[in-house]
Amino acid sequence: MTRDNELFDRALLTRRRARAASNLIAHDFLLERAAEDIGGRLEGILRDFPVCLNIGAHHGLLGDTLVRAVKPSLLIQSELCLPLVAQCHGARVVADEELLPFAPASLDLVVSALALHWVNDLPGALIQIARALRPDGLFLAAVLGGRTLQELREVLTAADAEVSGGAGPRVAPFADVRDYGGLLQRAGFALPVVDSDLIEVTYPSARALMDDIRAMGAANVLKARSKRPLLRRTLALAEEIYRSRFAAGERVRASFEVITLTGWAPDESQQRPLAPGSARSRLADALGTAERSAGEKADPKKR
Amino acid sequence: MTNPTTGGKSKPRVDPKLLEILVCPLSKTVLEYDEERQELISRASGLAYPIRDGIPIMLPDEARVIDDDAKS
Repeated sequence: MTRDNELFDRALLTRRRARAASNLIAHDFLLERAAEDIGGRLEGILRDFPVCLNIGAHHGLLGDTLVRAVKPSLLIQSELCLPLVAQCHGARVVADEELLPFAPASLDLVVSALALHWVNDLPGALIQIARALRPDGLFLAAVLGGRTLQELREVLTAADAEVSGGAGPRVAPFADVRDYGGLLQRAGFALPVVDSDLIEVTYPSARALMDDIRAMGAANVLKARSKRPLLRRTLALAEEIYRSRFAAGERVRASFEVITLTGWAPDESQQRPLAPGSARSRLADALGTAERSAGEKADPKKR
Repeated sequence: MTNPTTGGKSKPRVDPKLLEILVCPLSKTVLEYDEERQELISRASGLAYPIRDGIPIMLPDEARVIDDDAKS
């Protein structure tokens, strides 16, 4: 299933993830943080989630957190990459986030940590998730946002331009808070909330940062990614520019934006606005003032 | 949390509760479980999804195309 208008090369993503699978545990600080945050949010919600699905399970970190936080009777770990899901506990399944194999209204909770930003058809994936949830079921996901690796993006573009006189995208673009909010609403989620957290990390060098990203299995999988390999000269220049613009003492800094999406499958029990004109008491009474119609408001003396 | 997929040492089985929830990713219709061949069959899509080591592989690209008219 490959189409020309797709943003991400999913086959390449699967290969990258498979390659990273054996050693992901050494490079999972972002995942760990996202999992902890999702676990904390779930602990604050006082209800049971018997059937849970973790989409893009990676090596099972979020799943383990979920078991502690909500104690589900069934935890499904879904992941595109077999070598990763094989490391997970629970009921495991290999599936594509864009083609979810779950029955309508079968799940109480769907979570996902740092996977859905690589999906080509995110509106489609969200609609499928909304349908697979039972009424009043919860969707809670962490994705990377647009400010992720903004420093590296800027530096590589500058270095590429200087060395080879042109630049192709070497860091993937990510959607921002407003985009995600609109997508949740379009997918039919009730009470959608989107919030963002900027995480600053430091590395010994720009090179160490790039090595870490590769080890996370998160290197650029853009279809339109620059196919020219980074020249040694470009890399050296990038290192220099990075250090001059984003130094943090002896080290360099990099930011990751983690956006958290929350939405509920619509249900009768949820709060909703009343129909216009259905109010039983007047606002003017509550405020202790006299009500005036709009036409009387303008004071002719002021003209 | 128990892990019923690794019941015995012999052959990892798919969690029956998972089987109840899984549908064909293309048609979203029910699947038949072929225990012997370790496959999940979607009549609607004409595909048989393999199960490897107790893990269903629900990817249409990895599924076997089934031909109902030929030998089953």
